[in-house]
Amino acid sequence: MGAPLLTARGITRTYGSFEALAPLDLAIARGERIALTGPNGAGKTTLLTILAGVQAPSGGALEWADGASPKVGWVPQSPALYPRLTTRENLRLFAGLEGATDPAATADALIARADLGDFADRRAGALSTGTMQRLNLAIALAGSPSLLLLDEPTGTLSPDQRVRLWGWMADLVRADDMALLFSTQSMDEAARNADRVLVLAQGRVLHDGPAADLDEAAFMALLESAA
Amino acid sequence: MRALRAGRLLFAKDLRVLGRSRGLLAVLIGYPIVIAILLAIALSGGDRRPSIAFVNLDAGARTVQVGEERLSVDDYAKRLEDDVDLVRLTPQQADEALADGRVSAVLTVPEGFITDLQSGLKPPVLQLATNPRSPIEAQAIERNLESAVFRLNQALATAYVTQVLNLVDLIQKGGTVGIFGRSGTLLGLEESSRNLLQVQRALIADGKPALAKKVAGLRDYITGVGGNLELAKPAAQAIASPIRLEVREGAPGREPLSALGIAGALVVGIGLVGVLLAAALLSAEREDHVLSRLGRGLAGPGTIIWQKAVLAAVACTVVGYVLLGIVALTTSITIGRWLLWLPALLLAGLASGAFGLLIGALARETRTALLAGLMLALPLAVIALIPGNDIAYWASAFAGFGPAARIFQGLLVDPDVTSSTYVGMGILAVVALVYIVAARVALGRRMHA
Repeated sequence: MGAPLLTARGITRTYGSFEALAPLDLAIARGERIALTGPNGAGKTTLLTILAGVQAPSGGALEWADGASPKVGWVPQSPALYPRLTTRENLRLFAGLEGATDPAATADALIARADLGDFADRRAGALSTGTMQRLNLAIALAGSPSLLLLDEPTGTLSPDQRVRLWGWMADLVRADDMALLFSTQSMDEAARNADRVLVLAQGRVLHDGPAADLDEAAFMALLESAA
Repeated sequence: MRALRAGRLLFAKDLRVLGRSRGLLAVLIGYPIVIAILLAIALSGGDRRPSIAFVNLDAGARTVQVGEERLSVDDYAKRLEDDVDLVRLTPQQADEALADGRVSAVLTVPEGFITDLQSGLKPPVLQLATNPRSPIEAQAIERNLESAVFRLNQALATAYVTQVLNLVDLIQKGGTVGIFGRSGTLLGLEESSRNLLQVQRALIADGKPALAKKVAGLRDYITGVGGNLELAKPAAQAIASPIRLEVREGAPGREPLSALGIAGALVVGIGLVGVLLAAALLSAEREDHVLSRLGRGLAGPGTIIWQKAVLAAVACTVVGYVLLGIVALTTSITIGRWLLWLPALLLAGLASGAFGLLIGALARETRTALLAGLMLALPLAVIALIPGNDIAYWASAFAGFGPAARIFQGLLVDPDVTSSTYVGMGILAVVALVYIVAARVALGRRMHA
């Protein structure tokens, strides 16, 4: 992996007296696929939303490569789109909001890339769960991000939809040299689709290493040691 | 520039979404317009005749003769019934009926009413007791009865003056007169003057010029009195009717609405459209889960709030002009100051929209926002229509409805645009700004929670 795209130094998040995220250091390189896993309430979504810029950290700092803030694509757990607009209209709107010079052309490119051509003029609210998730992801790509953050992207998908989605993700990372950070409850999904796994529990990092180093048994042992 | 572009894109998106949500559109715009029209008709469609207990303590069935008219207490009551529904009761029954709310007031004709009217020494007094629990209705009844008593007084005054003028005529021209049951013949000033002329000529013929000269002076005096009495006639008529009102019926087939009715329709229409539209649009952003995406620098809370506030203000202005157009086309009321209505409608829409945005920012889902908006907006809009009540004005002012109602009434009926109209607009701007800031803070917390 090359130089870090993003370096987080000692970032924390507290809600009153509750510490959702303990001081955390993290470096993400271009082309890297990182899985974020851990039990419910571990701080996975908190970390993702801080990196996405949805909420500010209580402490610590985020440093981007070359001193500039690269574009981040954010895919929240529930599809974040307008169900009464069509697929094309959603993509045009978000491309426009991202500052695209030609939102219509950007939308058409995203439709082709996400294989949404058959659903381009269908209302988003009428799409199947898997197709809607692809649109959710395509919207996140509207700003040509270098870091894509996904919060449990396959939580509502069937097994075949999951396979198709991860295949598409792998293509994206390869083609655009973008970094990928996703959260998942499944150790198996993390091992299959990530180069590196970050295990969080109670806001603390329990493990940060290659996916191959962590099997199901080692993962469970880690959680039990933290309990 | 980026915020402006984001605001414009979200504005267009909201219009598109609204255009595709016919059910929502019917609830957000159709429903308030229907309510507004019904309210206008209810507020304008004929005043309700209040029911009033009538107690006659002047037991004698006597009448008073005024000129050609003979008037009894019953005649008086019948004339009052043109304005109110009278229920004849005893004093005790009347008190009970007033306490129970079966009648709105008690009108008592005191003992000696006819005698006082006959004597003319002191004006007879009617006594009106109203229900303190219904101050608005009591005011309406007072106005109704004052109007009825005024008309009756005018009729009596006219009768009295006619009688006086007949007497003046009799003094001038002479004739048969009947007063207090006795009758006789009156010579009259003109006949007296003619008789004195004959006496004057006879005295001159008899060689008594000094005496004839004295008679001439007497004739001059009679002529002068006659002239002055002639001048008194128009003066007496002027006293009987210092100001006369000529009432003409309007063109048939056009139902006139009152200014209160139109202002009420506008306040309720704009209030509900602004509050419900803004609350629903903002809470829908949350329900569609897009706030976290927008909040990442695509469109901040300030942009979203201002964009929706402007949309609500524009929608309210369109609804306001539509309602005014309906009034102008279907009633006899002339709607003027079309340009001045623009800032008034925009600011009223902005204030109610901002109020709705705060509700939308606080509510967790669209249904909750709509319900809360309706529950808060409807009573406040109705309270704003209570005339001349400062508590109602300020209670409803906190959603902008009170000042809006006064501005609308002023634009409809005031001959000149007064400073109070501009003060009202200033209050609406302040109310809008306060809610926009509050909604922005609430939305910011939601977006970055």
